[in-house]
Amino acid sequence: MADGSSGEFRHGARDILPLALGVVFYGAAFGVLATQAGMSGLDVGIMGTLVFAGSAQIVAVERLVAGAGAAAAIVAGLALNLRLVLVSASVRDIYANRPWWQVLVGAHYTTDENWAMMLKRRAEGETAGWGYMVGSGLVLMAAWIGSGVAGTLFASTIPDPKAFGIDFAFAAAFIAIACALWRGKTDFAPWLTAAGVAILAAITGAIDTSWAIVLGGLAGAAVAGITADV
Amino acid sequence: MSEIYVVTLVLAAGTIAARATGALAGQLIPTEGRLAAALNALPGCLIVALVCVLVLGGGPNEWVAAALTLGVAIASRNLPLTMIFGVVAISVLRWMWPG
Repeated sequence: MADGSSGEFRHGARDILPLALGVVFYGAAFGVLATQAGMSGLDVGIMGTLVFAGSAQIVAVERLVAGAGAAAAIVAGLALNLRLVLVSASVRDIYANRPWWQVLVGAHYTTDENWAMMLKRRAEGETAGWGYMVGSGLVLMAAWIGSGVAGTLFASTIPDPKAFGIDFAFAAAFIAIACALWRGKTDFAPWLTAAGVAILAAITGAIDTSWAIVLGGLAGAAVAGITADV
Repeated sequence: MSEIYVVTLVLAAGTIAARATGALAGQLIPTEGRLAAALNALPGCLIVALVCVLVLGGGPNEWVAAALTLGVAIASRNLPLTMIFGVVAISVLRWMWPG
């Protein structure tokens, strides 16, 4: 690609590998769960390709296994994906002057993991655009689907990610990425607000934790907008 | 159609709608001014909110591990190292104080 997307594609695919390794453990666990919902390896592959949102898939299938029904499973999964509206909006520049199908492809490959990795690369002064998002997203999708299908095949032998502390790998990765994004003291009030609002919203238990993330993010961004020198 | 395919297709449609809505709505926001400043601050704020909710969902072991991991992240500025440290730290804490 003439606009440098192919170099970015490769950088994205490479940078995301440590997080893709974490995804493999979750994919395998998802495969085990999917088996309990009566899903085949093919079903897992189709769902992973079309939905491609790990936490939402886990929550939705868990609801099915619990016997809550299709409607409850869909609502739970979609509630968790609300934050993707904000995640996509926050990297709006990667879609500027792109045809509609590239906007759709880029949006479909946007996950917490490669979005955060893209922001980290930018914070380090490197360029990371549409190609970076798609390259890293493809690696994540391969890891998610491959391990999910494997999970359905070897369901009886796969341990819970929590047994090895792997469940904490993503929290650790996001902590490292937050440090890379810190722009100095102008971030202090917005970040403190985001943390405070998210924690308060989550501990009241009145709303889904996905809403707590959205509320915290919006509150912090609002503080940044109000205090900005413009 | 089986239940699982209803869930897959509706969840897929809703998820791509969420992602594409953000991508398209973002284009409509001006590139200067307070709204732009807010949108520029959004990624960091979302990650902070995400980390808080993730860690809060655990217990004292997760809270201590997160604090230690933050220290290592600041000191090392190294992503894979921070991930490995976090996994080892939570494993040790859970071994010492099983929940």
